[in-house]
Amino acid sequence: MHRSRFDTPSQAASAPPAKPAKVEWPPPVREYVGRAFEVGNAIAGISKDDITMKLREIISFFAERSQLESLDWPTYPLPQEIIRDERAAAKALAQQNTLFSPHSGLGNAAVDTPQSKKRKSQDKTELSGSADASIPPWRRTNLESRITFTNGPNEKRHKKNALSGDLSSKFDQADLEKRKQRFQLGKNGNNTTPPWSSPKPDPDADMDTAPCVGTNMSLEKSYFRLTAPPKPETVRPQPVLEKTLAMLRKKWRTDKNYGYMCNQFKSLRQDLTVQHIKNDFTVKVYETHARIALEQGDMGEYNQCQTQLKALYAQNLPGKPDEFTAYRILYFVYTCNKTDMNDLLAELTPADKTKPEIKHALDVRSSLAVGNYHKFFRLYSVAPHMGGYLMDMFIERERLHALANISRAFITVALRYVTDELQFGSDDECREFLESHGASYAIEKKVDEHDAVQLRVKVKEAASTFESLRQAAFARVDIKGQI
Amino acid sequence: MSMNAALEDFQKAYYERSAFDVAQFLKTDPVDRLYDFWHSTSESRVEHDVGNAVNYGLSGIERGEAKGWIDVLVDFWRASDKIIKADQSHNQGKLSEQQSVAVYEAWKALVTTLQKYIGNGTLPHWAVFTLSYVANDLRKFAIQADAQLAKAKPATFSTGLSDDIADTTPKNQKLEEAARVFSRIFALCMNDRNPNMYESRKWAVYCIANLQFKTYFKLKTITLCKNLIKSIGAQADMPAWELYPKAHRVTYMYYCGVIAFLQEDYQRAEVSLVNAWSFCHRESTKNRELILTYLIPCRLITQSQIPSAQVLQEFPHLQALFGDLVRSIKKGDLAGFDKAFAEGEPEFVRRRVFLTLERSRDIALRNLLRKVFLAAGYEDLKEGQTEKDRIRKTRIPLAHFAAALRMGSGGGQAVDDEEVECLLANMIYKGLMKGYISREHAMVVLNKKGAFPGTGV
Repeated sequence: MHRSRFDTPSQAASAPPAKPAKVEWPPPVREYVGRAFEVGNAIAGISKDDITMKLREIISFFAERSQLESLDWPTYPLPQEIIRDERAAAKALAQQNTLFSPHSGLGNAAVDTPQSKKRKSQDKTELSGSADASIPPWRRTNLESRITFTNGPNEKRHKKNALSGDLSSKFDQADLEKRKQRFQLGKNGNNTTPPWSSPKPDPDADMDTAPCVGTNMSLEKSYFRLTAPPKPETVRPQPVLEKTLAMLRKKWRTDKNYGYMCNQFKSLRQDLTVQHIKNDFTVKVYETHARIALEQGDMGEYNQCQTQLKALYAQNLPGKPDEFTAYRILYFVYTCNKTDMNDLLAELTPADKTKPEIKHALDVRSSLAVGNYHKFFRLYSVAPHMGGYLMDMFIERERLHALANISRAFITVALRYVTDELQFGSDDECREFLESHGASYAIEKKVDEHDAVQLRVKVKEAASTFESLRQAAFARVDIKGQI
Repeated sequence: MSMNAALEDFQKAYYERSAFDVAQFLKTDPVDRLYDFWHSTSESRVEHDVGNAVNYGLSGIERGEAKGWIDVLVDFWRASDKIIKADQSHNQGKLSEQQSVAVYEAWKALVTTLQKYIGNGTLPHWAVFTLSYVANDLRKFAIQADAQLAKAKPATFSTGLSDDIADTTPKNQKLEEAARVFSRIFALCMNDRNPNMYESRKWAVYCIANLQFKTYFKLKTITLCKNLIKSIGAQADMPAWELYPKAHRVTYMYYCGVIAFLQEDYQRAEVSLVNAWSFCHRESTKNRELILTYLIPCRLITQSQIPSAQVLQEFPHLQALFGDLVRSIKKGDLAGFDKAFAEGEPEFVRRRVFLTLERSRDIALRNLLRKVFLAAGYEDLKEGQTEKDRIRKTRIPLAHFAAALRMGSGGGQAVDDEEVECLLANMIYKGLMKGYISREHAMVVLNKKGAFPGTGV
């Protein structure tokens, strides 16, 4: 579905238009082109190809705007002059090492020339020109792809159509091909990254971006993945964001609409990021989002927040590092990831280990490691903060594990024993659990001498059932743990 | 010193066709040894001087090969230049991270050049071993560069268009890059199609793999090791394993063992580690110690076996590491075990044996419960039975075990009755004890034969 939708326009764009009407260029344009290639006007370091490229850009720019006739061509700077100025500007800016200014700076340098928009179509040969040597190629690529995103493919297509087949056919067909590929690339990149997916290691991450200062005053804002530097009017400053957080917290208590909540938190996080706000408020935002995600069992979002929190705590920002360290321990218990668990244990200081939340999580870990289900289920009932939500994720698995264990060591036990040991809320709940796992045959009723009915579980008979359930439950998680 | 004199060792090594000696010439430690070579030329003259020295010094060398060595030596000179300058700055206490990175980059150029000329057959096949030494130095330089980089910029802002604030770019940038260089070298060796096995680069497969293991462990990307082992295992036309140098084999087996150990595949880990142990040079105390660091916890799991006092005596480090723990296990002293385990925790975690050793508490517990069983004594003799027919009491009140556990735990932490049952159930579940628990009678009924398998009762 998606593919076809995205492929169609590009094919249309690349296909040569059927029999285009021959365009007569106005004489001043033709003279301008002629002057551009006069030997006397050549500038060292700028090749004919560069000039051809630039010419095409200039002409198409004005053709699109129907200004070919009105422009004062005799006084308009020659393409090589524009290139020279551009390169000088780019070099100067590269030395300042600011990324976004070259973009706008170039636009300012020559107001009514198309450069600012046309940088994208500069060829690589020009990019590697002497003046640009100080700009690393990756930076260029990023700039280029960014602008491709910004302007979108539509504009390009427009321009190409406006160019009319005749002129473009005079130019290198390979160039067009290259453009087409680039254009598809940009699109696909856009297409394969859904806005809700976790941020991949971003190639942009190395860039210096001056922090944006937001001016937006609205409390709510939908999340969109940034594809261009944000505009200040769409970004909310911290005082507004603080109100947003308070509002979201209140809303979560009343309507529990997680879809809305997650979206709002993501835009909140984004606004913090673009403004380089990295303080206790940032921590609070991530902590809150992590807790809500936990409550909702959204482990993807929870893990993103955890990663961020770990980095934020590492900079000694105030927050609840103990609580979140405890969650990390519980999470590795859940994923059965021994390697990560070991790394985490290696990070803990003796002081950390005495913190109640962390101590609880460590006790959970060790009780399961040595098979002490009795202790484990006691710890389950006293999990601090949101730890219970994490433990819920593996409680069923551990109940099956404990049942497999019990069924090897006992012959029959009172149902009440299972209820108590495995921390079921009631005998009924316990019975339901057994029944839903296909062990109803092991439950028996026994009437004692006082005619009181006692439910008993013939665990030994169900031993193989529990064992295979346990294995299945752990096999599933082993796979998850690999991720 | 003239260039010719500076290259004398190289020439000798070259004529010997000794990969090791050539690698020795390319050594950078100690830095002092680089000075003669460094002083013998300058950046502007290095290509010319080295070119002359090789072309006239190595008689009979083929033109293409000469070019290869010249490029290698020029790269080595440039790297030496960076190393010496970095060393000088270091001595003045003003080593910058750019200098460390420059050393790394210069050395990487040397590695890449060697790799290129070996790959296209310009340099002789044995140079691949020289490459393995040089690549190992790249690993060291990468680690140094990363350390300097980390010192230079402790925390950064996430920039660009990412959604989240904290920068999550990797901290071991250079070492990760080096790891990619190593895997290219590995492919270069592995994919050698030369039918003449004598000249095959496949002889370097294990030593490069070992280098990669080391790197992946440092990067904490141990999962990548598994792919490496798999790809070697899948290769059909490798030279016979026994023909590889012991040094390569022992290291490779050690890593295979540790990797299996970390995946909790203790059976396979034991096989590999025993193999490494039996071929390890007797005097490589440190290596033998490393092997035992994993083999001892491994045996505790696979065979519930503790190391002999003799082994621990021979290796004082291991004595310090495992001594108390092992003694507590033997005695069935749970309190002692917990104490030794807590004290050793930082080191156990560092060696990645913590989570495995934890499981050996079961053996300590088993030994304690076994003592209770023995203390219960024998059933009275019945009519017509003789001493030979005496059997041990196999019905033991839960309270006895509970008492032992409470004593064993040093009286500190109270163990409630349910927990005692749970611990006993565990013993039965894990097969360390045979029998069943009767809650009604508060009794443990043990098997008449083999209540504690493998312990003689």
